[in-house]
Amino acid sequence: MSSSASNPEYVNARVRSRRNALFSDEDYRKLIRMGPSEIARFMEEHEYEEEINRLGARFSGVDLIEYSLNRNLAKHFDDLLEWADGRVYDQIARYLRKFDVWNVKTIIRGIYTDTPSEEIGTDLIRAGELPDRTVDRLLEVETIEDVIEVLEGTLFYEPLDSAYEHYEETGALVPLENALDRAFYENLLGDLGRPTEGPEAMYVEFLQAEIDFRNARNALRLARSGADLDPAEFYIEGGVLFDRSELSRLVSDYDALVDHIADDPRYGDRLDAALARLREADSLIAFEHAVDAALLEYSDRLSSVYPVSVSAVFSYILAKEREVENIRAIARGREVGLSEEEIEEELVIL
Amino acid sequence: MAKDVKPTRKELMQIEDRIELSERGHGTLEKKRDGLIMEFMDILDKAQDVRGDLADDYEAAQTKINMARAMEGDVAVRGAAAALQEHPEITTESKNIMGVVVPQIESSRVSKDLGQRGYGIMGTSARIDEAAEAYEDLLESIILAAEVETAMKKMLTEIETTKRRVNALEFKLLPELYENQDYIEQKLEEQEREEIFRLKKIKEKKEQEEKEARQAEADTGSTGEVDAEQATAGGVPGGD
Repeated sequence: MSSSASNPEYVNARVRSRRNALFSDEDYRKLIRMGPSEIARFMEEHEYEEEINRLGARFSGVDLIEYSLNRNLAKHFDDLLEWADGRVYDQIARYLRKFDVWNVKTIIRGIYTDTPSEEIGTDLIRAGELPDRTVDRLLEVETIEDVIEVLEGTLFYEPLDSAYEHYEETGALVPLENALDRAFYENLLGDLGRPTEGPEAMYVEFLQAEIDFRNARNALRLARSGADLDPAEFYIEGGVLFDRSELSRLVSDYDALVDHIADDPRYGDRLDAALARLREADSLIAFEHAVDAALLEYSDRLSSVYPVSVSAVFSYILAKEREVENIRAIARGREVGLSEEEIEEELVIL
Repeated sequence: MAKDVKPTRKELMQIEDRIELSERGHGTLEKKRDGLIMEFMDILDKAQDVRGDLADDYEAAQTKINMARAMEGDVAVRGAAAALQEHPEITTESKNIMGVVVPQIESSRVSKDLGQRGYGIMGTSARIDEAAEAYEDLLESIILAAEVETAMKKMLTEIETTKRRVNALEFKLLPELYENQDYIEQKLEEQEREEIFRLKKIKEKKEQEEKEARQAEADTGSTGEVDAEQATAGGVPGGD
């Protein structure tokens, strides 16, 4: 974490030009009509030239697109951490740690399945806070216990260390993966307090929404699956939609759970249509789609209300993530033969 | 075939025994064939249903995995799959349908709930769950299809074998045995006729010989009387 003074204005100024390089709706309309190789060419002619050229010899087709997108995302987010200082660094880093979680999970899964470290390394997205040398050391170790040792001094060490015993008992990765995700989500809000106005308030509201939506997704998935799992174990502190006991109670009553989300004054209206579809159909996908759209809408509001605060940086982070997800969805969708309408339905565009 | 058969009564009895056994076997095999065909028709209906379900499940699973790959990315889907701890297992036993041994496949740990799939719940999405669930259903269908279709193939092979055996008995073995039986019977009858004829001939010959002997004897008797008479007539004049 940087100890210098916070510099949101500088970061914002740098981010503004990056934001302009994001693909527009018009670009998406073009991309939807292209095949994977045309998409790769289009990317090469725009923002993704360096990554496409660098990875072109190793990968082809949609794999080239997916890995280039991940590399490009990592490059941009790494730059954000490079530019940011002080509090703004902390605010950005606490969100980008989701990529540290992704990387540690990928490495643990690789070790679990005896995957060669070169292959594991390919799947990493080095956009988090962990320095490259730590990630490289993680790739060199051969046991999960050693992974935990390497992470000593990070916020993941203690939760992983506690979950390791459970992992040894069960042999399943679930405790370790949940410990990593919980560490990330519970550190999102951490010491931010509950500001009621100003850019910080919006930033906190956004992070709360992220936690609430994650709790809602998990609760709905648990309710639908009927698995014999304690819902409290998957509850993430910090949101406003549920408290722990409420969540445990609602998981056993699917309709009451959906009603609870629909009745919430903050999210009810935003998720109204998705919840109606959720009541009619069995699939949670439409709901998750609506949740992603709601988060993107939040991020857009963040950038317009306080344009020189960390909120605008956040808005860019989410927009960039969404761009990567949309291009990947288009390319994979075309590869597996989805129609233009099906792909369009799945895209989350403001 | 018939030419190789020895036309003896013993051989005839053996052939009659074989005919009786073959006819009994033919009847039994015909019943077995008909039973197998009925069982096969039942399995065929089931197999058609299972195939239909398998095709539907495959399509559904492909759609779900395609969506998951498109929306979550290949890396995320691969990662979630790698976390699987308990791989599905199958055990095979056998059951007997009309003498045909068919497999009975028992699967375990195919359908899993959210807590058993190995990946963390907090960091994944419903798309991964739905893809995993669809593939679990597909795997169940594949196992069921493997069981039903293997049974169907084995039944079909057995029906073919039984049909060949029935046909071999009906059109080859039994006709040959009947032919041999007829041949031997004819031969034996012929031999009997020959024997009777021979006996008749012998009897005739014997009778003829006896007749001739009697005739000869009769002839010999009459010649002696004449000589005696001549001898008597010659002595009287000499006594004068």
